[in-house]
Amino acid sequence: MFVPSITNPIGDFVRDIVPRLAEYLPASIQSDTLNSIVAFLVNALICVIAVCAVNIGSAPILIYMERKVCAHVQCRLGPMRLGWHGTIQTIADVLKMLFKEVYAPSGADKLMFYLAPLIVLIAPFIVCALIPFGRNLVVADVSMGIPLIIAVNGFGVLGILLGGWSSNNKYSLLGALRSGAQMISYEISFAMILLFVVMISGSTNLMSITMGQEGTILDWWIFKIPVLGFIAFILFFISSTAEMNRAPFDIAEAEQELTGGYHTEYNGTPFAMFYLAEYIALVTNSALAVTCFLGGFLPPCIGIAAVDNYLNMVPGVIWFFAKVYFMIWCYMMVRWTFVRPRVDQLMDFEWKFLLPVNLVLLVAGAAYIVVFN
Amino acid sequence: MFPNLNIPSIPLPDMPFAFPLGGMDIAFYAVAIVMLVTAVFTVAVKNILQSAVFLIFSFVATAILYMLLHAEFIALAQVMVYVGGVVIFVVFTILLTSHLGEDAFSTKIPRVFAAFALSASFVLVMVKCVLPTPELSSGVVNSAADYSSLEQFALRLLGYDHSGFIIPFEVVSILLLMTLICAITIARKSKEDVAKEKEVK
Repeated sequence: MFVPSITNPIGDFVRDIVPRLAEYLPASIQSDTLNSIVAFLVNALICVIAVCAVNIGSAPILIYMERKVCAHVQCRLGPMRLGWHGTIQTIADVLKMLFKEVYAPSGADKLMFYLAPLIVLIAPFIVCALIPFGRNLVVADVSMGIPLIIAVNGFGVLGILLGGWSSNNKYSLLGALRSGAQMISYEISFAMILLFVVMISGSTNLMSITMGQEGTILDWWIFKIPVLGFIAFILFFISSTAEMNRAPFDIAEAEQELTGGYHTEYNGTPFAMFYLAEYIALVTNSALAVTCFLGGFLPPCIGIAAVDNYLNMVPGVIWFFAKVYFMIWCYMMVRWTFVRPRVDQLMDFEWKFLLPVNLVLLVAGAAYIVVFN
Repeated sequence: MFPNLNIPSIPLPDMPFAFPLGGMDIAFYAVAIVMLVTAVFTVAVKNILQSAVFLIFSFVATAILYMLLHAEFIALAQVMVYVGGVVIFVVFTILLTSHLGEDAFSTKIPRVFAAFALSASFVLVMVKCVLPTPELSSGVVNSAADYSSLEQFALRLLGYDHSGFIIPFEVVSILLLMTLICAITIARKSKEDVAKEKEVK
């Protein structure tokens, strides 16, 4: 009998405790098969809840953070009225959004209109399940993590295109087509950088990519390969910003030109889902950058035993989230610092600069591996 | 815990469901149903964009089927190639077809007899091929456990020895390079166009 199992300490704990609880049941319905199925279902439920908690829980925090960072960059205060320094403001906004009436514009393709926000959410949730948050904290420790990430990223473009087209609005359609062209182009260099990481670490599994950076801070992939690692990190930063449709590459929604782009016609819960997908993508892309370049959940050891002992005492999850929030802060500062390029400038930048540099980087990385290993 | 409960012993089988392999079979039938339903919708829906979306879901279900058969790389390639490909198809559909959202736009082609003949002959071929295979469900796996892993796949693809595929791989890569160069040659501006633009300025 094949019952899939989830291997980690929490899974072992559940597998251990379910048969003991099952002893209290009447003897006629006890069986090992039932126990293993129940244990598997409980484990799966724990995994789903964990992914949802990380994703949906981080969205209000990020919205609050974005508003505060934006406000302080522009010498304002941001939300201040509700709660201490406006902390309850986001919760109020979320509640307002959820209780709004949901309706589609007349002439909209209803099926596609309501399907699009769901499709947009596929990719961030799958990527989040692959990321190792700690030594034993990973939902799906699959051997082909990076190809899976590259594969599911296509769903984001599809959702945006469908949302834009089915809204029956010119602004939406223009925004959707712009973002389709942009995301398809930048996906190439995004995949190229991930390929570079796969090449230098020799694995497509995110856990072993992280464990390959064990040691001091100089063993992280960003520093381990002298200059190339840093260049790759910067290129990853640029292409992931464009892939997420975040400013300065937000020509898909460009408020001043397109009144919101592909989600102009959305309101209430579907709009909240587009928004959620955007912020989850921010978390997952930061987590990916941290895993691939900044040592994942490993502490930033400096090689002095006295300091490293204290650093190692902090759990890996805390290091992971500290690094992720640092990356998110970097994305936000970039968003409020740079100006938006024109559409043609953006495409020129990808095809005439980013992609050639990526190809050269791949060749240089291969040369480095051949020469120094 | 339940001292007074005296439930008569219900004859529950050891396996909770009457399938030979349990969870795997349930997964297979669930995926197969999704695949077939979305495939039928792909053909039956009148709007070309909706049928593209159903096609994507059908492809994704196929990928899950591959995954159940432990062919992870083929599953990922399926998602990568077809989802990306259909997305580009959607872009071109939006760009090139007018009257997309109207009811008058229909993909129905009146070829009922040919369609029936084709599907009947396909079913016949499938039955002819599949039925003679003895004990398909209880067959033994005779390849190594990591046969379909990415490492084995890559090593075989780039292998020089008898089982390697280095020459077809290189031929395909040259073909892809040719198409890339052709695309750039078609898309770039010719010198006359550039000169004209300068005159206008």
